[in-house]
Amino acid sequence: MSNTPFFNDNWLELQRQYWDTWTDMSRKAMGLDSAASAPTQPWEAAIDQWWKAVSPATPDLSRTFMDKLLEQGKNVFRLADTFAQRDDSAPVTNGFELWTQALETMQQRFSGSLDDNSTTMQRLMSFWELPLDNWQRMMSSMSPLPGDALRNMPHAPFKDSLDRALSAPGLGYTREEQTQYQELLRSAMNYQTALQEYTQFYSTLGTKSVERMGSYIQNVIDSGKTIDSARALYDNWVTCCEGVYAEEVATPEYAQIHGRLINAQMALKKRLSILVDENLGALNMPTRSEVRTLQDRLQETRRDNKALRQSLNSLERRVAALAGEEPTRTPPTALRTTTPVKAPARRRTTKPDA
Amino acid sequence: MFPIDIRPDKLAQEMFDYSRKLGQGMENLLNAEAIDTGVSPKQAVYSEDKLTLYRYDTPDGIEPQPVPLLIVYALVNRPYMTDIQEDRSTIKGLLATGQDVYLIDWGYPDQADRAITLDDYINGYIDRCVDHLCEAHGVDQVNLLGICQGGAFSLMYTALHPEKVRNLVTMVTPVDFQTPGNLLSAWVQNVDIDLAVDTMGNIPGELLNWTFLSLKPFSLTGQKYINMVDLLDDPDKVKNFLRMEKWIFDSPDQAGETFRQFIKDFYQRNGFINGGVVLGEREVNLKDVTCPVLNIFALQDHLVPPDASKALKGLTSSTDYTELAFPGGHIGIYVSGKAQKEVTPAIGKWLNER
Repeated sequence: MSNTPFFNDNWLELQRQYWDTWTDMSRKAMGLDSAASAPTQPWEAAIDQWWKAVSPATPDLSRTFMDKLLEQGKNVFRLADTFAQRDDSAPVTNGFELWTQALETMQQRFSGSLDDNSTTMQRLMSFWELPLDNWQRMMSSMSPLPGDALRNMPHAPFKDSLDRALSAPGLGYTREEQTQYQELLRSAMNYQTALQEYTQFYSTLGTKSVERMGSYIQNVIDSGKTIDSARALYDNWVTCCEGVYAEEVATPEYAQIHGRLINAQMALKKRLSILVDENLGALNMPTRSEVRTLQDRLQETRRDNKALRQSLNSLERRVAALAGEEPTRTPPTALRTTTPVKAPARRRTTKPDA
Repeated sequence: MFPIDIRPDKLAQEMFDYSRKLGQGMENLLNAEAIDTGVSPKQAVYSEDKLTLYRYDTPDGIEPQPVPLLIVYALVNRPYMTDIQEDRSTIKGLLATGQDVYLIDWGYPDQADRAITLDDYINGYIDRCVDHLCEAHGVDQVNLLGICQGGAFSLMYTALHPEKVRNLVTMVTPVDFQTPGNLLSAWVQNVDIDLAVDTMGNIPGELLNWTFLSLKPFSLTGQKYINMVDLLDDPDKVKNFLRMEKWIFDSPDQAGETFRQFIKDFYQRNGFINGGVVLGEREVNLKDVTCPVLNIFALQDHLVPPDASKALKGLTSSTDYTELAFPGGHIGIYVSGKAQKEVTPAIGKWLNER
């Protein structure tokens, strides 16, 4: 155990030297020019450079997988880096003050907007971006628009004037069309509001998770132990975040935020579908609405058809039984069937005990 | 004493080790080739629309039980979870106990399947599979094993067709959908399911993936990849991890009308508890379940909390009700080494005794 600070004044310099050497060796091994511009984040740049060199030969599945490993690896070291970067201007009298300062710095960073472009903040926030990133990826897969298309769009300053404009009744021959576009814009605004509310929820959780981490570190102090690796720090950070998250998303407040986000997204998508259908109709092409009507009718017909086939077969079997004949037709279930490979045991079971 | 003692040299060493493991892991990833799933030999014996009914080959030297066992898997994710790898296979374990195992593979519904209803699944597809097995084996009844949502389907089927089910096994099956701590249920209460289904038609698998990952976002989308780096130097473990990764994200879309009824009747109205679930023209009443029931749940299940499954006790009219609590999670109950030793042999023994 040590009473010295968990990083020393030479930390950044040591880090830079280590990764400069590592990077230089890698570049030479790959036949690349080592005189290129020096990386500003040496270890991140080294990892990126290594990956750029080897990734083209990697199959897609492996590449995607390795991307995840690399990104999470960066999260581990970013976190350690955050704790390992000291503000030299701040007087440090003992270790307790030092980590308290580090936590306060984390809290300050969390209390800002998630969309701040600050590099230092992003190191921490990238972790709490995970749930948001998951949402955006999912939305992107379901929409022609990027998942974050509306996330950063400022709307508060214009909300009132937009509301007024959207409330104005349509006029003239294109009245219905105007109304459709008004509804679309209104849905987009509602979705944007819901998305920002969702984002804000995570911002609040970030602050709480730092407090939880503080409590955890206090327990470490009380127990006389230390956290001596980036991995251990990361694992504890995950535990704290997951704990805070589990508590907060179980609240009725979150259930409402979650519901509003999904509902707003669906309402927007429905508006878009209506407009697409309008245009398809104008082009004399089948619309989604028409296709669905056909699907419903077809399913009803198929359901009836299957039921009739089963009834018919049942009747045929009864007739055959009355006539003392073995039914020659295939079983009623044999819509498409093949015989089991192994001969089954042809034995009737007894009735259940119950 | 300072609680965080990450020395620069140790952090640099951690980074170096991480990059070394990634480098070694690349080789194993490149050699991983295609990910195979579903290891036990099987034959397609019946198909209808996108459904395929498989029969698994009975191992040499084992006399199969006369009553076939039909596994009804959930519509969510793919059924090869039950047979994911050679040493982690529920199917293999059941075959070893003498069960004649059949499994319904629902396939991947597309928009043409949007109008398929819960009634079509339960009274249509499952019923015709059961009829097929009865016909092929010359029996009046089958044993049913329902998994997760497939367990709820099996309960409904047994309640509506008690004369066709000799024994019922439910695994990690939700019965009370509104127990405390059921996050999925809490989140969906404020979602306008009609709007979602009317908008999307089918519900995309990506939306379900996002929901499941949102239960533990930091562990499931971050930390597990860091943990994976430690396994990268073992080709078998890499392949096993990728196999599980494939299963997790292999998420079929949900037929819209079925999803609508399932979420509204069960998650929002808690239909097994409160009643009111109508399929075709008949109401589902669990009191109509009279056969022996084995109810298996996982104590650390974060998708279907144990209390959600345990609620089945007392809801049926069965005089032969047994519970089996497994100390693991929703997936571990199929793929963990402990499950292979405890769960599958217990199911086989329970069935063979009846």
